[in-house]
Amino acid sequence: MTSTTILSKIPAGCPMHQAGERFQPFEHKGMTDFYASVRPEVPIFYAPSIDCWVVTRREDALAVLRDHERFSASNATAPIVPWPEEMHQFLRDQHFTNESVQVACDPPRHTRGRNAAMTFLNMKKFQNYEADVRALARSYINEISNSGKDIVDLVESFTYEYPAKVAFLLLGEKQLDARKLKQWADLRIKLIFGTLTHEQQMEAARDLADFWHFASALVEQRKKKPGDDYPSALLAARAGDDSILTENEVKSLVFGLLLAAHETTTNAAGNLLFELLKRPITWQAIVEDQSLIPNAVEEGLRYATSTIAWRRRAKVDVEIAGVQLPRGSQILLSLTSANRDEKQFADGEIFDIGRSNARSHIAFGNGIHHCLGAPLARMELRILLEELTTAFPKMRLEDEESISFLPTLSFRGPDRLPVRLNR
Amino acid sequence: MPKLTFISSSGDRHEIAASNGASVMECAVEHGIEGIVAECGGSMSCGTCHIYLDQEAYERLGIPATAENDLLDFVNAPRRPTSRLSCQIKVDEHLDGAVISVPQSQY
Repeated sequence: MTSTTILSKIPAGCPMHQAGERFQPFEHKGMTDFYASVRPEVPIFYAPSIDCWVVTRREDALAVLRDHERFSASNATAPIVPWPEEMHQFLRDQHFTNESVQVACDPPRHTRGRNAAMTFLNMKKFQNYEADVRALARSYINEISNSGKDIVDLVESFTYEYPAKVAFLLLGEKQLDARKLKQWADLRIKLIFGTLTHEQQMEAARDLADFWHFASALVEQRKKKPGDDYPSALLAARAGDDSILTENEVKSLVFGLLLAAHETTTNAAGNLLFELLKRPITWQAIVEDQSLIPNAVEEGLRYATSTIAWRRRAKVDVEIAGVQLPRGSQILLSLTSANRDEKQFADGEIFDIGRSNARSHIAFGNGIHHCLGAPLARMELRILLEELTTAFPKMRLEDEESISFLPTLSFRGPDRLPVRLNR
Repeated sequence: MPKLTFISSSGDRHEIAASNGASVMECAVEHGIEGIVAECGGSMSCGTCHIYLDQEAYERLGIPATAENDLLDFVNAPRRPTSRLSCQIKVDEHLDGAVISVPQSQY
């Protein structure tokens, strides 16, 4: 069935049809208002522009995320604009052999990747990095302090690079070029979740190949000289046995971390700071009482979710919120909408750092694909706020109107955050 | 329905009638037992539904599966000999009378 036929089968006057027509999947402005207006009546609607059924309520989103038997993750990172054959050929020529091991695959394949990744990406391990992460945060604070400027862009001078540098700690490489990694990752996000032209795709492919070669080289180095880091832990879990994990899977997992470990955290940091600084009284509250910070982080993740929507595909005929969907249907779970669902969050449209159940958001997903890096992201965000409130307690947002958000289907984060430090 | 007693880290006791077939985590969440976070919803991905069983119940259940055993090494509160992930324990009559201690913190 074509996307037009699906929509034509839904009566034009019905709220579900109207929601599908009004929905702008790449436009962040007005998105939360849109969901707030449709969620009470429309738990699911069809969006023809992306050929997806969009799920708006938390309980339905949770049910899909937890049901990996009937809902496949295989389309989670499928390019919105299909890659041209020319690009595939170029990538083959460049020996780009990345394969889906974690985020976009199902058990039993997913289980092997997760079991190996978990030996390093876990709460206990992350706790060992607290001092290093704090030192890193302080180095950015010092640079800002020493710049002598009174107005700085917090994205440019802090949150853009900071999570990438934390990722380098996990990789056991401190001296890498964070800007280069960020540029690679930005391109990869656009290649998957954005709407690039053919020329832009081909240009991005060259960087994608570089990115892969970098991940491969890192794994090769660790084979010769293992350390206490993620690639070495994966190689140790593999123990030379392809039935546990192949070398290409190890490289693919490292390649995945080079994106997953920082992109959403940069966005989450920007979103969190934006919401706090927009509300000087709330900012003041965490300045005066830093014990409020952990819950403020959770409320930021809930209210200004950085992974706004995530995809699944029905493996069999399914029913969601009373709507029958045939096998193969693509589903877009709006985490943004789920995280403001009034059934779970009273006054969900209000940003409240004292909210008692803020942590029950699903910003890190749920089920078998629940983000392994969640404890690390939380630590980074907490330390970011602890250090910024200590260093610049009187900081205020400047020029709020100049802030915009990159138009992608799944991610949301401010491109800049100009602040007056008021030292 | 099997009776389960949860003991919080501050010593408060809550007795619940658990549903057969559900997991201990699901019953705890359903009855509002504090301290069982279960962030991933019961998929053995987060390690935030860690509990300590009483010795007798632990032995009745038999040793945990390899994947659970591995994840128990990474939970936040100290692992003890009767540590389990509550999402991996199905409630049935064998569990009747079990005493379950909830760690001080899951994260």
